[in-house]
Amino acid sequence: MRNLIEFLQRYLYWLVFLVLEVISLLSLVRYNSYQGSVVFTTANEVVGTAYRMGSNVVAYFHLGEENAALETENELLRKQLHDLQQQMRQMNVVPDSLPVNEEQSESDYRFVQAQVCSMTLHKANNLMTIDKGERDGVRPEMGVVSSNGVVGIVYLTSQHYSIVIPLLNQHSQTSCRLRGSEYFGTMQWERGDADYSYVNGIPRHAQVKKGDWIETNGFSDIFPEGIPVGKVVKIGDSVDGMAYRLTVKLSVDFKTLRNVSVITNYSKPERRLLEQKADSLMMVSEE
Amino acid sequence: MSTTVLTRLWRMLLLLLVQLVLLNHIHLFGYATPVVLAYLTIPCHRGSSRVELLIWGFVGGLIYDVFSNTMGLGMATGTMLAMLQPVLLKLFAPNDAPEDLLPSMRTMGARLYLLYVFLTMLIYHVVFYALDAFTLQNWPVTLMAMACSTLMAFLFVVFVQLLSSSIRSSREQQHS
Repeated sequence: MRNLIEFLQRYLYWLVFLVLEVISLLSLVRYNSYQGSVVFTTANEVVGTAYRMGSNVVAYFHLGEENAALETENELLRKQLHDLQQQMRQMNVVPDSLPVNEEQSESDYRFVQAQVCSMTLHKANNLMTIDKGERDGVRPEMGVVSSNGVVGIVYLTSQHYSIVIPLLNQHSQTSCRLRGSEYFGTMQWERGDADYSYVNGIPRHAQVKKGDWIETNGFSDIFPEGIPVGKVVKIGDSVDGMAYRLTVKLSVDFKTLRNVSVITNYSKPERRLLEQKADSLMMVSEE
Repeated sequence: MSTTVLTRLWRMLLLLLVQLVLLNHIHLFGYATPVVLAYLTIPCHRGSSRVELLIWGFVGGLIYDVFSNTMGLGMATGTMLAMLQPVLLKLFAPNDAPEDLLPSMRTMGARLYLLYVFLTMLIYHVVFYALDAFTLQNWPVTLMAMACSTLMAFLFVVFVQLLSSSIRSSREQQHS
């Protein structure tokens, strides 16, 4: 206690100095409009900066939710775009036809949002795991897309997870076409660069140029037509020289892919049943 | 009331009178006004109570502010200078000076005393005009104001010192 008193006595002038300076500076700011406005402006700026930094940090933690919301909105817009494209195409081809019945429309499909849990990029047959499974309505052979384009096809499902065969798999074959034409081919990846894949089978009389978009053609019951796959970056010839072999830069960046959507009700049981019957008939006739 | 307090009070009133009546109306180049209130702490002898010095500096600044409509400016500067006065005095006091040295040309020698006065004035005007400008914008003007005001206040103090010395010597001559 005595030490404390001695300490205070020794350094009392510091305390007095601080008190007097604080009183002086407060008076300066309080009674002088110029100094007051400078302090007010600076304080505002400091507080504003602090709030902005805080808000940035909070926003960072909500990025996941915002991303999911954007993804949903993207899907909705893409669906609307697809509907409009369908309607425009039908109007051009069959001008007098009635609008397509909504229940029968191919575009009447739903998406299940999912996140990529794991993925390989450098194997010959890469696979991807997503965090949605049978409980969410995901089944094998459903299409998986992202906001940029086609990702792959569901291969196996469990209750909560699914394995997807992405485009970066040598067993993956996706039917696609040149945007704006009906020429179609098959996309097949070759081990190597995860940004590029190859489309074979586009006939040589098709007019192809670099920068043309490749999109799904809707022949399979996995992807609706018009979903982008990539852009043509190189035009080459197939081995037999009868068709083009196009090098395509994939529109989906698999290296940073995080959010995907599974198209859950595009497949039509009726069509699939019919195709299965046709296959069985072919097998019988071959026998 | 001790003689020291009375002397300081008398000195403070005199300085304030000169400052408010005469010096506050000088605006060299439009912005440099000497503030001689710093002289309040210059002739305080070594070993003075620091709390006492601080209160003198604060009160002197307060009265100056009330009459100059610069509330807080003189108070902050006066308090700051009062805090630094013992340090400045220690810096310039001769080695063989007594513990209760009273700063003056006679006790410190002309060179050291003038340096002490100049540095005191410089610090006072730097703090004063920095608080007055309160921003780094237009700093050349602020620097000019600091320099010119310091110089004018310094010359004023030198003039006062010379005047008081000559008065003192003439009195001594009369007595002898």
